[in-house]
Amino acid sequence: MRHHPKNETLAAFAAGQLDEGRALVVATHVSLCAECRGAVAAFEAVGGEMLNSVEPVAMSDGAREHALALLDREPSPVAPAKPAPRPVWQAEQETLLGYDLGPWRWVSPGLHYRAVKTPEVGGTRVFMLKAVPGLKIPAHAHTGTELTCVLKGAFIHEGGRYAAGDCDDADQDDVHNPMIDEGEVCICLVAMQGNIELTGFFGRMIQPFIRI
Amino acid sequence: MQAVNWQNGLEQGAHPAGLLLKAGKLHDRPAQTDLRVKSPAELARLIEAVAARQDRDAFVALFDHFAPRIKAFLMRSNLPAAAAEELAQEALLTVWRKASQFDRQRAGASSWIFAIARNLRIDSARREMRAKVLDLEANEDSEPPAPPDAELLASEREQRVRAALDHLTDEQRRVVRLSFFDGKAHGDIATELELPLGTVKSRIRLAMNRLRDVLGDLT
Repeated sequence: MRHHPKNETLAAFAAGQLDEGRALVVATHVSLCAECRGAVAAFEAVGGEMLNSVEPVAMSDGAREHALALLDREPSPVAPAKPAPRPVWQAEQETLLGYDLGPWRWVSPGLHYRAVKTPEVGGTRVFMLKAVPGLKIPAHAHTGTELTCVLKGAFIHEGGRYAAGDCDDADQDDVHNPMIDEGEVCICLVAMQGNIELTGFFGRMIQPFIRI
Repeated sequence: MQAVNWQNGLEQGAHPAGLLLKAGKLHDRPAQTDLRVKSPAELARLIEAVAARQDRDAFVALFDHFAPRIKAFLMRSNLPAAAAEELAQEALLTVWRKASQFDRQRAGASSWIFAIARNLRIDSARREMRAKVLDLEANEDSEPPAPPDAELLASEREQRVRAALDHLTDEQRRVVRLSFFDGKAHGDIATELELPLGTVKSRIRLAMNRLRDVLGDLT
């Protein structure tokens, strides 16, 4: 794994402050990346320290007794069977767990698009892109941030080569001119705020689809 | 604005516990706020006592320490007092239920409970998927070999976090707190601190990079 989300993105994820779409992309990367699981643990420890040092706000009278009364209704805790780890992305089935996916739709030669149905919060939309090897994606800039996790295959742009599990944490300043690497179909999960601005003939052609 | 929420919440007296108490169904020990900061090892031992023998005294100690802090934390993320109190209750119940999953070698007591409160807040906003994913680590089967002194490890880790926060400049600590803890968007922070958005963003970036450098990976 060579490309990770920015530290401020991982921190916001650990703090529970990312919208669902961006959180889903980060969670997908984190489920595939031990290093970032460590980073999330570190930022959670920062959260723990802040929780410990916050000025407490007294609970209502009787809150503690209420909690104790609720314990009586709890079934006696049996050691829970540990559920198997559930990665977000299931490579074999090429699916994302827990989310409804739209059908693959043709966008342009060699490029398909599939909506991931998350509530749209703060203008973030989530979708997958599937592209054939060697395809050049039209040059584009972003009006907001774009967070991408490669699920399969690889693409190459100015920032380097992004293979399965790698995360591209891009913002307004980045202009991308990506190309799909040879050898394998590439599937990416993208959370996009704002819109991308496409240039060139293909760009104008796919713009209406991407805006959906 | 937070003070207003706080007062409103108290005036409503919305929590069922308050009603029960008024009806005289529970003996009235006043809910205390434990201001003394317990040591990480002490907190970890309390969770382990709940796991090992459903120790109610340990639960009460955890409740008195964490419930008012979780409530404060949630109110700072703009939750009304009544809702914050309800989620704090739920968080402590979750601690009771999941105590056996706590592993002090993986996480300190405070960060474990912070993650529980965070997940509940996300769940309450119907973002269950994410919470499940964040539980992923806790559910992994691999048992790391026990280090010679787990207790030392737990307190060392918390010390490292505290030292890392101390290493930040006041300005950096402030934006970390605002973005991380109070759940403020970068734009709101910029307004509050009367700074340009770009300055706020680069300050957050620097602060988080600094924390990460000092902390490394806490695994």
